[in-house]
Amino acid sequence: MPLNRDVLWYKDAIIYQVHVRTFHDSNGDGIGDFQGLEGKLDYLQELGISAIWLMPFFPSPLRDDGYDISDYVSVHSSYGTLEDFRKFLGAAHARGIRVIIEMVLNHTSDQHPWFQESRSSRDNPRRDWYVWSDTNTRYKDARVIFLDTETSNWAWDPISKSYYWHRFFSHQPDLNYDNPAVREQMWNVMKFWLEMGVDAFRLDAVPYLVEREGTNCENLPETHGVLKELRRKLDEQFPGRMLLAEANQWPADLRPYFGDGDEFHMAFHFPLMPRMFMGVKLEDRKPITEILQQTPEIPPLCQWSLFLRNHDELTLEMVTDMERDYMYDTYAGTKTMRLNLGIRRRLAPLLDNDRRRIELMNGMLMSLPGTPIIYYGDEIGMGDNINLGDRNGVRTPMQWSGGRNGGFSTVDPERLYAPLIEDPVYGYPAVNVLRQTETGHSLLHWMRRMITVRRSTAVFGRGSIEFLYPASHRILAYVRRLGSEAVLVVNNLSSTAQAVELDLRRYKGNILIEMSGKNMFPRVSDLPYLLTMGPYQFYWFWLRRI
Amino acid sequence: MKLAEESFLTDDFLRQLINVGEVDILVGLPTHNDAKTIGSIVHTIQRDILRCFPRERAVIINADGGSRDGTPELVTGVSIDDLRPASNPYALRTLHSISTRYAASPSSGVALRTILAAAELLRAKACVVMSPESANIESEWLSKLLRPIYRDGFDLVTPTYGRHKFEGLLITNLLYPMVRALYGVRIREAYSPEFGFSGRLGSQFLGQNVWNDGADGAGVELRFTLAAITGGYRICQSFLGEKDHIERRGADLVPALRQTVGALFSVLEADFPVWSSVAGSQPVPTTGADQKVLLEPVRVNRKRLREMFSTGVAELDSVFQSILSPSTLAELRRIARLEEAEFRYPAELWVRTVYEFAAAYRKSVISRDHIIQALAPLFRGRVFTFVTENRSASADDVENNIEGLCLEFEQLKPYLLQMWKSRK
Repeated sequence: MPLNRDVLWYKDAIIYQVHVRTFHDSNGDGIGDFQGLEGKLDYLQELGISAIWLMPFFPSPLRDDGYDISDYVSVHSSYGTLEDFRKFLGAAHARGIRVIIEMVLNHTSDQHPWFQESRSSRDNPRRDWYVWSDTNTRYKDARVIFLDTETSNWAWDPISKSYYWHRFFSHQPDLNYDNPAVREQMWNVMKFWLEMGVDAFRLDAVPYLVEREGTNCENLPETHGVLKELRRKLDEQFPGRMLLAEANQWPADLRPYFGDGDEFHMAFHFPLMPRMFMGVKLEDRKPITEILQQTPEIPPLCQWSLFLRNHDELTLEMVTDMERDYMYDTYAGTKTMRLNLGIRRRLAPLLDNDRRRIELMNGMLMSLPGTPIIYYGDEIGMGDNINLGDRNGVRTPMQWSGGRNGGFSTVDPERLYAPLIEDPVYGYPAVNVLRQTETGHSLLHWMRRMITVRRSTAVFGRGSIEFLYPASHRILAYVRRLGSEAVLVVNNLSSTAQAVELDLRRYKGNILIEMSGKNMFPRVSDLPYLLTMGPYQFYWFWLRRI
Repeated sequence: MKLAEESFLTDDFLRQLINVGEVDILVGLPTHNDAKTIGSIVHTIQRDILRCFPRERAVIINADGGSRDGTPELVTGVSIDDLRPASNPYALRTLHSISTRYAASPSSGVALRTILAAAELLRAKACVVMSPESANIESEWLSKLLRPIYRDGFDLVTPTYGRHKFEGLLITNLLYPMVRALYGVRIREAYSPEFGFSGRLGSQFLGQNVWNDGADGAGVELRFTLAAITGGYRICQSFLGEKDHIERRGADLVPALRQTVGALFSVLEADFPVWSSVAGSQPVPTTGADQKVLLEPVRVNRKRLREMFSTGVAELDSVFQSILSPSTLAELRRIARLEEAEFRYPAELWVRTVYEFAAAYRKSVISRDHIIQALAPLFRGRVFTFVTENRSASADDVENNIEGLCLEFEQLKPYLLQMWKSRK
């Protein structure tokens, strides 16, 4: 299957997020690698996804799961070689699957040669590639992000006897984007991968590129300037490629990252995700509709990317204090489930392994405006291990079968990069791809069907949204429209059956066709359209005028 | 819809209830032309819900008796929902405010029945009824009435208020001491327009066969309290603070007697197996102060009170002959002739009078409504005495005097039983 040549491919995409380390080990060393990932591309093609987002695979001391890069133009030896990556890329493209890779612009590892040179002396040519200071009092209005581990954004360097700036861990010094040489070098890095055929970058931690005194050092105009410059070069030299922003911000603060369609193509909608969980727990659509009402319009060529879970904690930075308390109490009953300002759990455990809620959440993910991202393993309902530190509990090996090491690796279990999930409910003997492939009503089969339905129309990826606001607040209903095509989505956020009356007079004369089973429902008239919804049930209907 | 055809709830109201769905907390607002106060009351309620019960599913139910001043619209206009996100960006969830106009003339009984039915259909765990006639509903009233139910497992929370010593005299001189003596429970405000209750108590009362025998009318709140007592439900009191009433034209004594004394007398026969075996009384758990007596000087037209007493005794003599024992009537005739300076309606005589009225009411010696009306001049005489005795009394003294009257009611309870069982 050749790649779709549409430059707006990202609007119709279903993205699958995976770390090469976690997916499949081809050489029996206990660590997933590119050959292993390539070997599982058929599985991903069958799942129906159209793009893979790879987490960092570059050489790194791995003190932050690869987000501490020590060489931007190579592959970590544990995952294979550059040639392995090239082969994987070609195999993915051959299956019509695009590849998105990480680009950590904001900082490097402190083991990166650039930083080693920079710290070596105050007159080193690369001294100015990082942000140095004789005091730790500059930029005091900038918040500390990793509250659980860091107390300051400045760290003392005993070698050059001065402080360096870091917005994340102290072993991740920030690059100095006021230096043109840094900007040029980072474009060269991106060009290296683009020339190889990489389709898109997920740019990490973009709000923090530039620092200015008297500000919180986030979302500064100078940062946008850097990003626009990268976008201009991308469009000029590599049309059809895509930039995805990681900026955990409120929608209004995120909007500038789209610029006038000249900055990012896509950005994560961080505030929506916790509110979807909140809406289902509260059995109330208010958190979801409110945040979407507050979400500004974006340029026509731009797109939100939506997700339920990812490799990080379920971040609660973009919620109010009261909402955060509620989320903690209802989704993270024990403190070990909490990390920074978030909850380090996977989708299935967060939803008590309730198949109905898992389906509802995925249904919303795939029908709200944006491009959905599925975190590896969530398509089979994998669990987590909160006894592993940091966010490693949601980064355990993929569970392929009930056999040795869950089919992930042939190595002795104690040599695995991380232990497999083994508990009775979520462990690999119970939850694995093989078993679910063989079971017609498994979550995996359900996900395949829903992805097929989602991909059967462009309306979900490109259409407008109109909320219906039925009087029952437990029902989240909206119409997605694209040209003459219209899809009605009705979600019951409640754990109990609900009757709902929808005002569909605007669509009078249309018949409803349920998209999954293709069955007809009664024609719309002037009367309220009555639907009865089972617990956590949702419907997608084509509105067809026949 | 068969349900709607058989229900006293309208189809539209049922539809609104379906949209609200199950709730944890229900606030009932019986109204009739309360536009002047209802807006601020609903805002206070909303603020309290958001502050004290931000995670609970809550609804405000307005049972309206046909307002023509836009009262229902004022209630429903303050829903917190996602159609008007600016209405309260800090609300975690939707807060419905819905309204129904019941098909009857304004009646607290019909309003309460509507609220109870809504509570049952919505499976509300904790409910509260708030009065739009309270001019000064304070923040925290709601939580003070709800919290003991929602958090502590009580079934009924009655309020206590800070009152002037000469306010609420029907309560202090009759209702409180008589309920206390008969039912053995020291509930200060057994009849109050504000109270909290559990869903299970509400359902139990809704299912009682009381709605077609007068409970649709006045005094149903008192019957509700008495039903909680006789049903063995957990009851407590919560001190709300000072209360101001909206002045209403036509608010006079006879309707008040019908609502309180009439309601009390009307249930005594059915409750006889319960109260006839009760001796003494027990306090109920109370949050905050037991009560608070305010002492600011107020002008009371005592002369008029005494005149109305004397005139009543004279004019209703034949009525009293049917109601009262010869000795009680003779004593009333005697004190009616006393000069103002010497006039006293002693506690013992007052208690005997009330008990004889209760027994006469049971036996329907004359029209029951006439019996209640006949009590009015006598009550005025008792008020004269209470005001006189407490004119310069301290708060403690006033309380001691009320306590003395309560004990008199308790001690003379055998007299009521005797009258109750006597043929005449």
